[in-house]
Amino acid sequence: MSGDMDDILLVFFQECEEQLQELERGLSALSDGESGKETINAVFRAVHSIKGGAASFGLENLVRFAHVFESSLDGLRSGRVAPTPEIVKTFLKAMDVLSDLVAEAQGGAAVDQGRIAESQTELEAIIGEGGGSAPAAKQEDVIPADFVPVPMDFEPVMADFDFGDFGLEEDAPAAAALVVTFSPHTAMYDRGDDARNLLIGLADVAVAHGGTSTVTCETAALPALADMKTEQSYLSWRVVLPASVPEESVHAVFDWVSDVCDVTISREGGSDPDGGEPAPEEPTPALVEDPAPATFKAETEPAAATPDLQPHPASASVVEKIMAELPPPPTAAASAPIAAGNTAAVRRPVEQATIRVDLHRVDDLMDLVGELVIAQAALESIGQREEGGQQEMIKRIASMKTLTRDIQDAVMAVRAQPVRSVFQRMQRVVREACSMTHKDVVLTLEGEDTEVDRTLVEKLSDPLTHMLRNAVDHGIESAEDRIAAGKSPTGQILLSAGHRSGRILITIKDDGGGINHERVLAIAIKRGIVAPDAVLTDDEINNLIFAPGFSTATTVSDLSGRGVGMDVVKQAILGLGGRVTISSVQGEGTTFCLSLPLTLAVLDGMLIVAAGSTMVVPVSSVVETMMVNHKDIYMLPDGANVVSIRGVCMPLIPLASELGLGGYGTSRGLSEDDVILVVENESGARAALIVEDIRDQAQVVIKSIEKNYRQMPGVSAATILGDGSVSLILDVPALVANALGRIDTRPSDVRTGIAA
Amino acid sequence: MTDEAGADAKLVKMIVFAVGDQEYCIPILSVREIRGFEKTTALPFAPHYVCGAINLRGIILTVIDLAVYLNVEPQADNPRRVVIIVESRNGTVCGLLVDRVIDMADVNLSDIQAVAEEDSSLSGLVMIADRMIGVLRLEVVVGQLVGGMIS
Repeated sequence: MSGDMDDILLVFFQECEEQLQELERGLSALSDGESGKETINAVFRAVHSIKGGAASFGLENLVRFAHVFESSLDGLRSGRVAPTPEIVKTFLKAMDVLSDLVAEAQGGAAVDQGRIAESQTELEAIIGEGGGSAPAAKQEDVIPADFVPVPMDFEPVMADFDFGDFGLEEDAPAAAALVVTFSPHTAMYDRGDDARNLLIGLADVAVAHGGTSTVTCETAALPALADMKTEQSYLSWRVVLPASVPEESVHAVFDWVSDVCDVTISREGGSDPDGGEPAPEEPTPALVEDPAPATFKAETEPAAATPDLQPHPASASVVEKIMAELPPPPTAAASAPIAAGNTAAVRRPVEQATIRVDLHRVDDLMDLVGELVIAQAALESIGQREEGGQQEMIKRIASMKTLTRDIQDAVMAVRAQPVRSVFQRMQRVVREACSMTHKDVVLTLEGEDTEVDRTLVEKLSDPLTHMLRNAVDHGIESAEDRIAAGKSPTGQILLSAGHRSGRILITIKDDGGGINHERVLAIAIKRGIVAPDAVLTDDEINNLIFAPGFSTATTVSDLSGRGVGMDVVKQAILGLGGRVTISSVQGEGTTFCLSLPLTLAVLDGMLIVAAGSTMVVPVSSVVETMMVNHKDIYMLPDGANVVSIRGVCMPLIPLASELGLGGYGTSRGLSEDDVILVVENESGARAALIVEDIRDQAQVVIKSIEKNYRQMPGVSAATILGDGSVSLILDVPALVANALGRIDTRPSDVRTGIAA
Repeated sequence: MTDEAGADAKLVKMIVFAVGDQEYCIPILSVREIRGFEKTTALPFAPHYVCGAINLRGIILTVIDLAVYLNVEPQADNPRRVVIIVESRNGTVCGLLVDRVIDMADVNLSDIQAVAEEDSSLSGLVMIADRMIGVLRLEVVVGQLVGGMIS
C-alpha cells in the first residue's frame, strides 16, 4: 500500500510540474496583453488542479495558498478584475511562491512564511478589489477539519467507547438514526483509496445536516499479529449519522468505491426497534473498570447494538470470552495499515525520472523494431540456405544498417524534449534578479519548442541561470543610465533556441551596455590573468570573462560578481560537448551563443591507432590530417616539439607517450608512417597529435567508464567497436590545454616567436 | 550446509580460486559471472595491476590482474585463466583475472583468522580441507580503482 501511495504522490508532483508550466505560460500570455477567456481559464484550471491534488494528500500549506490564489484568479475569470500589469506581476510572484510550496511538499527547503504571507496579502487585496466573495469566509472553508488526519482512525478505541456510550443514551429520542457499516476490500487500498476518505466524507455529510457522526471501528476480523498479512484489509467501520441525513447522500460517498467495499445502510430504528434496550444489558460498568486493552471495548460496542445479543449474559464471562477471542496486540495491528499510508506521504521522491512521450513516436519505434525482427528472420533463412546466399546476405545487411540508424533516430526522438521547461524557468530567474537589482527587464523567449536530448535539457538549467543573472546584473544598465543612453528604461533580453547544422544553438542577447574592453583588460591585468604588456584583440578580451577568478563587478552582489559564474558556465557547457562564443558591441549589448550537440549518447569519431590500440577522436575537433614532414619539426629547449604547418607553429603531442602507454612513442621516435592530426579545442587553440594510423570514421556510442573506474587525464569516455573491444575516446580539449598551458591565450603566436 | 554449526555461527558461501600457487576466496554473492579471459584495452596512467578494460555486454569495466596485485608468480601460459566479474558493495563492477576457479565452500565467519591490518586487501585466512585460503577484502581491492583522479 505504501508503494501505491508513493506512486500516486509521484504522479501528483509530476502533474504539479506540468500545471506550473501551464500556469507560467498562461501568465506570460496575460502579461503580453493577451487576456482571452481561454488563457484565463487555463491559468485558473492549473491552480485549481494543484489545490485539488494537494487537498487529497493533506498538504495543508499548499492547499491554503492555492486556495487564496484561486479565489483571486476567480475575480479575473469573472471579469471583476482586469489583468493590469501590476496584477499579473502579483500573480507571477504568487506563482513563484506556489512552485516553492510544491517543492517544499516534495521534500525541498521550507518556504519563508513571510513571503507566503506577503503574497497572500497581495492576492487578498485583489479579491477585495474584485468585490467578490469575502476572503475571510473563503479562508475558512479551506482548512476544514477534515484535512487534519482523522484521529479516530488511529485510536478507534477510546473514541468508540465514548461514542458508543453517548450514542446509546442519546439515541433513544432519535431512533431513526442512519447506521452505515462498511468494510473495504483489499482491492480498495490497492487502488490507493483509503477508508479515511470515506470517513471524512461521512463526517462531512453529517456536518452538512447539522449533526455529528459517531464512528466505531470493528476489529473482530483482525487475526493475531503473527498471522496478519500487511496488505490485507481486516477492519470495518460502523458510522452512526443523524436522522436527518438522507440515504442518497451516503450512497454518494460510497459511489466510487462501491465495487470494492461492502456497504450496508440502515435506519437504526428499523433494525433495532427498541433502541434503548441494549443499554442496560451492556456490561458497561465491568468494561469501565476492566483494564483490558482498549480495542476490546471497541469490540463490545457493536455487539451491544446488535439486537440478538443474549438478554442476560454474565458480564464477566462475556468479557473473558471476548478477551480470549481478541488477538493479543490489536491496537498496533489496527493502526498499521493507516500508519503505513501516512509515512508514505512523508518519504518523498526527489527527482522525477519519467518522461512523457508522444504516442506516435513510440509507435514509430515499434514499427521499426518490427522491421528489425523481420530483417533478422530474413537473415536467418539466408543462413540456412545451402548456397548462393552471399549476395542476398550483403543486401539484407545493408538494409538492416539503415534500419538500425532509423531506430537510433527514433529512440533519440523519444528522448528528445522541448527546451520549454528550462526556458520558462528562466522567466522566474530574470524576475527574481530584477527585483534584487531593482531593474526592469523583459525576457523574451524564442524557439522553446526546439527539441534536445533530455539529459541536455536538465543540464542546461544551471549554466543558463548563471548567464541570465549575469545579463540582468552586469549586462543591463540601471534605468537612469539607460535613459541617459537614449534607450527605453526597460531592458530586453532575448533567449532563443534553434537547430543549426546538427547542433543546437542557444542565444542569450541583451540590449545592455556591452562589454567594456578597457575595464575588462584592466581587471584581468590586475588579477594577474594576463601579462601587463599583453596586446589582445577584442575577441580575446571578451573571452577573458570566462577566465577563472575573473569578475568585473566592483561590488559583490547577492546575484553575481564573485568571479566564479562565467568560468563555471564555460566548464558546464564544455562538459556537454558544447562551445560558448561572445560577441559584444559597446553601448548596444552582448550576445552569448551556446552551441551544443543534439545528443550526448552518440558521437562522430575518427578511429586512430596509438600505442597499438584503437582510439577515437571526435571528428568535430579534427581540423586536418597530414603526413609527418621531419623538416617542419623543431625541438624546444625543454624537450617538447613544435611543428610548423604552413607557417603556423603548434605544439606536437606524441599521443602514445602523452597517454603514458608503453613508452611507445618516446623511445621509438617518429616513424615515416606516422600521421599528424591537427586538432582544435573550443577556443580555437590548435595542437598536432602524432598517431600511428587512421583507421576509419564511424559513429560511436559513448559509454562512461567513470562508473567503474577513476577519471583518466586525456580520456573523456570509452566506446565499444564493431569487434566488441573497448576503445577510448580522447578528450581533445584537455590534451590541447595540457600542451599549451592554461593561461596563455595566444599560444601559437608566442611559440612561433620562440621557434623561429 | 553443516547443520552442527553453533548458534552464533554465520556461514557464508565463498568461491575459491587460485592465483599462482596460492588460493583465495571471496563471497559468492559478490560474483556476477565468470568468463574467459580475452584481450583487454590498455588504459592510460593505469596502476600496473590493471590489465585494461573489457566490454561486458555494453558495460565497460576494468580487469585487475590479481597475480600482479597480490604480488604472486602467475602460472605461466595457463589456458584456464578466467575473469571473475564482481560487484562490490558500493556498486562498482570490475573483473578479477585469476588462474583457475577451484570450487565453492561454506566458510564459517568465526573460523576466519583475521590478519593484522584493517585496510589490507586480505581480511583473513581460513582453513578449508587442510588448505590455507586467503579471504580477500573486495572493497579494498575494488575501491582502489575508483575515486580520485591520478595526476
